[in-house]
Amino acid sequence: MTTLAPKSDLAQWINSLFIEVTAWDAIILAIVVSAFILAVFVFSSRVGEAAPASAATSDLGLEIAWTLGPTLVLVMISVPTIRTIFRSQPAVAPAGALEIKVVAHQWWWEFGYPDGAKTSNELHIPANRPIRLSLESGDIIHSFWVPQLGGKRDVVPGQINELTFIATVPGMYPGQCAEFCGLSHANMRFRVFVDSPDEFAKWDRAQLAGPAAIPATDLLASNGAKLFANSPCTTCHMIQGISKGYIGPDLTHFASRTTLAAGVLKNTPENVAKWIGKPQETKPGANMPALLLPGPKMDALVAYLESLK
Amino acid sequence: MAAQPKPLPAHQPSYLEGGGILGWLTTIDHKRVAVMYLVSALFFMALGGFEAMAIRVQLWSPDNHALSAATYNAFFTMHGTTMVFLVVMPLLLGFFGNFLIPLQIGARDVAFPRLNAMSFWLAMVAGVLLHLGWVRGGLPDAGWFGYANLTERYFTPGLAIDWWVIGLLVSGTSTVLTGLNFLTTIIAMRAPGMTYMRMPMFIWSLMATSILILIAFPALTIGLIFLLFDRFFGTHFYVASAGATPILWQHLFWLFGHPEVYIMALPAFGMISEIIPAFSRKPLFGYPMMAYSICLIAFLSYGVWGHHMFATGMGPVADSAFAVTSMLIAIPTGVKIFSWIATVWGGSLRMTTAFYFALGMLLEFTLGGLSGIMHASAPIDLQQTDSYFVVAHFHYVLFGGVIFTIMAAFYYWWPKVTGRMLGERLGKWHFWLTVVGFNLTFFPMHILGMWGMPRRTYTYGADMGWTHLNQVETIGAFILGVAFLVFYFNIFKSLTSAERAPADPWDGRSLEWSTASPPPAYNFAAIPQIRGRDAWWMLKYGHAGSRGVAAYASGAAPSQPPPGEPLSVEHIHMPAPSIFPLVSSLAVGMIGLGLIIDWYRIILIGAAVTVLSIVGMGFEYADYGEESHDPEHAPSSGGVDVRKIGVWSFIGSECVFFASLISTFIVYKSRSVSGPGPQILNIPLTSVSTFILLMSSLLMVLALAATQRGDKLWQRIWLGGTAAFGLIFLGGQVYEFTSFYHEGMGLTTNLFSQSFFVLVGFHGVHVAIGVLWLSVLLVAAMAGKLGKSRALSVELVGLYWHFVDVVWIIIFTLVYLMQAVPGA
Repeated sequence: MTTLAPKSDLAQWINSLFIEVTAWDAIILAIVVSAFILAVFVFSSRVGEAAPASAATSDLGLEIAWTLGPTLVLVMISVPTIRTIFRSQPAVAPAGALEIKVVAHQWWWEFGYPDGAKTSNELHIPANRPIRLSLESGDIIHSFWVPQLGGKRDVVPGQINELTFIATVPGMYPGQCAEFCGLSHANMRFRVFVDSPDEFAKWDRAQLAGPAAIPATDLLASNGAKLFANSPCTTCHMIQGISKGYIGPDLTHFASRTTLAAGVLKNTPENVAKWIGKPQETKPGANMPALLLPGPKMDALVAYLESLK
Repeated sequence: MAAQPKPLPAHQPSYLEGGGILGWLTTIDHKRVAVMYLVSALFFMALGGFEAMAIRVQLWSPDNHALSAATYNAFFTMHGTTMVFLVVMPLLLGFFGNFLIPLQIGARDVAFPRLNAMSFWLAMVAGVLLHLGWVRGGLPDAGWFGYANLTERYFTPGLAIDWWVIGLLVSGTSTVLTGLNFLTTIIAMRAPGMTYMRMPMFIWSLMATSILILIAFPALTIGLIFLLFDRFFGTHFYVASAGATPILWQHLFWLFGHPEVYIMALPAFGMISEIIPAFSRKPLFGYPMMAYSICLIAFLSYGVWGHHMFATGMGPVADSAFAVTSMLIAIPTGVKIFSWIATVWGGSLRMTTAFYFALGMLLEFTLGGLSGIMHASAPIDLQQTDSYFVVAHFHYVLFGGVIFTIMAAFYYWWPKVTGRMLGERLGKWHFWLTVVGFNLTFFPMHILGMWGMPRRTYTYGADMGWTHLNQVETIGAFILGVAFLVFYFNIFKSLTSAERAPADPWDGRSLEWSTASPPPAYNFAAIPQIRGRDAWWMLKYGHAGSRGVAAYASGAAPSQPPPGEPLSVEHIHMPAPSIFPLVSSLAVGMIGLGLIIDWYRIILIGAAVTVLSIVGMGFEYADYGEESHDPEHAPSSGGVDVRKIGVWSFIGSECVFFASLISTFIVYKSRSVSGPGPQILNIPLTSVSTFILLMSSLLMVLALAATQRGDKLWQRIWLGGTAAFGLIFLGGQVYEFTSFYHEGMGLTTNLFSQSFFVLVGFHGVHVAIGVLWLSVLLVAAMAGKLGKSRALSVELVGLYWHFVDVVWIIIFTLVYLMQAVPGA
């Protein structure tokens, strides 16, 4: 999750600017440290020794130099800064952009695609195509940050913020909420998968499709499906054709996600059981009520959820 | 040159002696007030440090369970709040500022000693209120910056944020009073001959800081008031569904918050500018530029607040503007660093612990400034903000810059405050442990930030690769903890040792070193005449300390005290102690407490006692003026009477107070989702009451004129008339408010209504306070105590009254008249 390995045009612009400023900073630091060392250790005496020659308390040339010098450096930094600011915030979406709606909640992420596909906490985007995220909040201020894809953008209730970039290298890039949002701010993580255009199209089609059919032989999962349909889970979670809740993440293709609980746990049967059984242990303050099912029922539910590819 | 005078009697009691506990509770001596700030700050420093250590323990390993998420969030909130409001500002202003200002400018106390003590007790009450959540309701846990709308009651129910809001309101009041006091003192009470360009740098920095306090804190006050109204009274100042925006909080908070960091940094700069010359035995390099750079930094600090909000989506124009202004502020700061190094250059250095900390500060603060330049560039900041990189940045400037300076200042000024020296051997251990611990703790945070670790997170994933650096930081924090233990031990040892410090252990350059260590209560037996910069150096060595050749009297002892010391100090009359500062502060605390735990009777009692105590203090001040040799006619170095400067300073801060309220009204008035709008206003009626208020200003002028010519009858008539007209105006407002209520517009109806009622309501409160003030003066007049010689008292209420009227003119225009303009 580093800022130093840019994988998008936006991250690359920022990184170049960062390297420029670091270089200037290094020069200034070298000057200051050298002057410091010379002043303290070379061009001074210690009390009790003979006094050194210089006793100046002003020097116009010097004072002009150390006022103008930094000013020039800062001008040189501000020009690419302003250029990057404007370049990175286009007023309208670039041509051909994929516009994705992001809704941030305490403590998970909802992603909606123009073709109606919906998913949570794991964002898939095609490489080398402009992406325009429009960021909305379902409750309070959050911040969308994927360091390798660019700087962060706050998600503010009552306004729509935008983040525009082109991801250049396929891969998986972790992200995390970057504005303190309460008890489980630390647990509001997510993943961005930059796919090749073909892979993305395939993923998109799969998301639009209904839930995977349960093989007739998988009795455990079938039982789990019945359990789900009659459970309180349906109040908050949608599985296409089965339930309509939209307070929590859409679970239609839950098993296609690599993590759960907003990037906190790997998506394994044990973790699913752990999450459903006692969500607050993983995520203090989570709005999801604990569902302490007896062993066999929990196994069935987990099997069903893990069948939702 | 006069003959050597007879020495003073052998034992002049120092300010620390005598009076018992009651003496301390009722003290208004700036030095005692300073020591009380010191003790409380050292306590809160330990508490805030403990919170930091607990944070570092929790972050030792991923998915750690040393602290729960709830406790962690409370701890990082309290660590920030405590360090900023209960440690750094109290140390810089309450302790060092209070102790040194009168001593450095050749005065006997600050301009308003009772207000000074009240500032301290209010700060104590604030510290208690901020921590009462530990006993009931939970400690504040939404960050030291408390972003809306997380802080709305819906998202953070319970008492925790209530304690935070009330505690900060009380703390802010304390600080504003201090700013007012310091500014007035510096302008009005400098010794004869001490022009601005001859003041010590610490005084320059405190003058700029005081102005910053006066114009920055009101923005925080308004932000907190809006939050208080949202949480207690059901308004929606930060609720998006009502048409408002949580970003309003950020603007108000950072309009305060950025000047706030300069309120912390500037006094530190001032102190370094004295400590480095002292131990280089050389005058400060570039004094004029150093003074101007302080002023420039203060001025610019008010224009950069948006750099805390680069990620909020303000748009490219705003982002660019704030990026440029934030870079600009680096220029005068750089000038200071170079000037400090140039001061050391060619000096005859005495390598004491104080000097070590000062030199260390130069390097650490430079690092903090350099990462600051990165933050100023908005695109870079979008990666760095809200990550550990910015945590590194501000700890380098606040700890590496400000705390290092505070440590240097401790070692430097401790002998003056206590009459003891802090141990040099222990000091060197303290220093090196601090340097190692500090850099080990905070340098890796730059890297963690670059590696994507967000801040304010109670844990992190094992697969992120952040574990090792976090462990290094935790080890560093423990080393820092040991450093602080050494520091506290050094203090303990020095206070329990028998060895006494000389008056001038460092061969100092400024006037405080001319007094005994510790000084007597009255500071100076005779106020010195100032003939140049580095006033004490000049008095000692007789030649200009500010340019050209300095006396490189390599380590020679200072010469005899300047001639002309009087034989006695019996003519000096210091003001008597007062119980009112303590009582009024406790009463304010009662108001806050009552509001939170819903005991309305306590609120009323608290309010009544507060008002009575303040009136009591006013009478004490007036009586003191009568008893001592007429300080009302004492020459003010600013050319304007002390109390007038005080009222003008207060008016300055009130401008920002009302500007924040008015701006909010303008932004919100047309964003209501439903409900009545400006059409509900009754302009004809309000025009009448406006006219009456304006006429009251005329009556006020007449009251002053009557007082100045000694006309007792008309003085009372016009004073009473002014108050009466004020009451009529208020009556009109009450009528207006109740009629709106009956027409269906209450406080919480919509954005227009809440902005209107809060703005106009607070203005009305100001009018009411003016009426109260006038009534008190009217009573004094009728008792024959408001004669010609006390015309200034009437002038002061007049200043306040006219200001409140001018604000009303603005409100009437922008709120009422603008509605009559189509399209406004």
